Amino acid sequence: MPGALDGIKIVELGQMVSAPYCAKLFADFGADVIKVEPPEGDVARTWGPFPDDEPDPEKSGLHLFVNTSKKSVTLNLEEDGGRSLFLELVADADALIENNLPKRMRGWGLAYSELEKINPGLVMISITPFGQTGPYSEWNGYDLNAYHLTGASSRYCGRPGESPLEHGTFSGDYFGAVAAASWGLAAIYGRDNAGGGQHVDVSCAEAIAASFVGGQNIGAFAQDGKFDKRTGVGMSLGAPATIMPCKDGHVWILCLETAQWNGLAKTMGDPEWMQMDIFQDMFSRAQNSDAMYPLIEQWTMEHGKMEIMERCQANGVPVSAVFTVGEAAEHEHLQSRGYIVEQDHPVAGKIRNLGAPFKMPACPGGPQSPAPLLGQHNDEVYGELGKSADDIAQLRSDGII
Amino acid sequence: MPKNLPLKGIRVANFGWVWAGPVTGQTLAFLGAEVYKIESKARIDLTRKLPPFGGGEPGPDRSLSNHACWAGNGSVTLNLKKPEAQAIARNLAAKCDVVIENFGPGAMDRIGCGYETLRAERPDTIMFSMPAAGLDGPMKSVRTYGLSLTSLTGLDSLTGYTGGPPIPVENAYSDPYNGILGAFPVIAALRHRDRTGEGQHIDYSQQEAVMHMVGPAFMDYALNGRNAGPIGNRHPLAAAAPHGVFPCSGDDRWISIAVLTDDEWNGLRSVMGDPAWTSQPDFESLQARVTNIEALHSQLAEWTRHHDDRDLAEKLQGAGVAAAPVLNVGDLLDDPHYKARGTYIEVTHPLGFKETIYGAYVKTSRTEAAVEPGPVMGRDNDHVFKEILEIAPDRYDKLIADEIIF
Repeated sequence: MPGALDGIKIVELGQMVSAPYCAKLFADFGADVIKVEPPEGDVARTWGPFPDDEPDPEKSGLHLFVNTSKKSVTLNLEEDGGRSLFLELVADADALIENNLPKRMRGWGLAYSELEKINPGLVMISITPFGQTGPYSEWNGYDLNAYHLTGASSRYCGRPGESPLEHGTFSGDYFGAVAAASWGLAAIYGRDNAGGGQHVDVSCAEAIAASFVGGQNIGAFAQDGKFDKRTGVGMSLGAPATIMPCKDGHVWILCLETAQWNGLAKTMGDPEWMQMDIFQDMFSRAQNSDAMYPLIEQWTMEHGKMEIMERCQANGVPVSAVFTVGEAAEHEHLQSRGYIVEQDHPVAGKIRNLGAPFKMPACPGGPQSPAPLLGQHNDEVYGELGKSADDIAQLRSDGII
Repeated sequence: MPKNLPLKGIRVANFGWVWAGPVTGQTLAFLGAEVYKIESKARIDLTRKLPPFGGGEPGPDRSLSNHACWAGNGSVTLNLKKPEAQAIARNLAAKCDVVIENFGPGAMDRIGCGYETLRAERPDTIMFSMPAAGLDGPMKSVRTYGLSLTSLTGLDSLTGYTGGPPIPVENAYSDPYNGILGAFPVIAALRHRDRTGEGQHIDYSQQEAVMHMVGPAFMDYALNGRNAGPIGNRHPLAAAAPHGVFPCSGDDRWISIAVLTDDEWNGLRSVMGDPAWTSQPDFESLQARVTNIEALHSQLAEWTRHHDDRDLAEKLQGAGVAAAPVLNVGDLLDDPHYKARGTYIEVTHPLGFKETIYGAYVKTSRTEAAVEPGPVMGRDNDHVFKEILEIAPDRYDKLIADEIIF
């Protein structure tokens, strides 16, 4: 069955998470993605996690996850010959996906204004912490800096008086990557409508500051000049809405509507205190949460998280267990949906990986092949550009590939 | 003025509600699709009731957060509890390229608009369903809110102070995330339809899409059987140090600093004035800094706390160090970067008040996105029912009187 994006040719000049993850979405759904790596490889190859913590550029877990279904070529952009070879690659590509700081792309002579000259139909998708324009566009930055520039952490995560928090993953990079994927694919699909190729400029910080933080807060602040900050609890207006410890971990206790509260009471064996007037709506429960939370916690501490989730869900209460990553992966639900896939990697051996993020029955996606070895497709890709075996040998000895 | 819109000519019926589904509609609309949200006064979406309201006056067409999150979607009102309204919704779906919904599995069947029914009327229908945990499987009917959905992916287990309990993210990051990413399979399915004539029913499990965010931690589990816990603001793969948020002068002011390379470390040292502690062997190499990250972070915090966040960020950037102020909501509107990029825009709502929403959160050099104020309920009723569906004026009036169009 053909992939949804069969026939789309993409060059990736990306490292770490944002551009590689964006390009993975295209590759896993059938696009032909050539990942261009520096001679020493994408830095993700050094980040791990590694099996048994033994570093090996072919066994980095991040690389194995984020670079599935791609081809890898090496190319030294610091050499003149490297740049011209890159231009040959991009000349007939539908899209370039990259996450280098703007000044770096300019330094290589690879700004959009240069690339559109050789390929006017090119959709250049740039994913950076701050974007291509604006005063911070010349700044150095990573996922962490982008995320904390959005208001998301100050507003929504951490205890008052303590530092604002990001999720323990590359949240900013991921958000930028998915915005880039949707807007980038639209620019490719609708190229005729748009009248040609274009530069799609994604700032990870801006995407979050707009759609996540801005969506819920900016109208209020602009009109009334007031804003809120993190509480460390979960939700301050309604309760219960918090993460609570239980016998073997943690549970998300969410119970806002009356029917849900009654369902929770039933699950907990109808304790008398839950009938008190001050606990009959989510607002007054929130005002009295200091009294309420310890009472609920007494109960959660006597039960396991899976049991709590199962019994609450059966009574219509939207309580969920805080799964560890392993618990999520091994859960019968994801197993029955075939979400966890197995791959055979020439160096790392049999590895488990995450499957497609969404199912398209008419043109299924998901990892098509394991992450490529460094430069695995040099001969094939450069051969298709018309380079002879001798040319390629020459490029190798010149240190270009 | 919007121009060169890539999705011009694509029509979408959006049954999505609350946040994620409307954002998928918004994303497609910004890019040129004609999107009609189907809603009803018989069951007003709860986000239309969220304060504050435009001009301080309560009303379902005045919620400022609703407008920002839904802007771009049009609106038609149909009371889907009534069979006649369901039939009209089916007719509308048949005139659309794409149907979006984010109810639980089976809900669309119950309102007579399930995929098989719609497909019978239009074989190349693309239906995009985005339930919490997918359309099938033992947990398909799980009840969650957007802010707790992430607990089913492992993401919440990684969020919190190092070594401490999980700390909740107090709003649904996954809603706009899934809303925006949702446009990707929709466009991919449009492409597939154009090439093959085939429609399909996309099963977008929000759990599975968000779980990609824990991909790196999943690999540690898959390769080593390890389950990570909360790591504060440290680098998720321990490949950088310092890597965190540090206090600055003033109330609740902070700076983020991430040091991955030796050049960046040397830049940081020079801005600090090369204090003696930085030359200790404990901090000499990246590996040593990662090992001794706790001591490193406390030393650094002692220094940052005497500085203004923005001044310090500028100074560090001058030395090539990745540093930025940690902004709060009150900083966003006046931040020079967001101002320069036009991240937030003020528009005049048709009801007369001004509202600040976000505009195109991605900048496109040829396309100028189509951004409009949040939709008034039923804004597009006349156009959709009379022109697209060609309902005769008499019948249209009767449908309104009978609260079918409602």
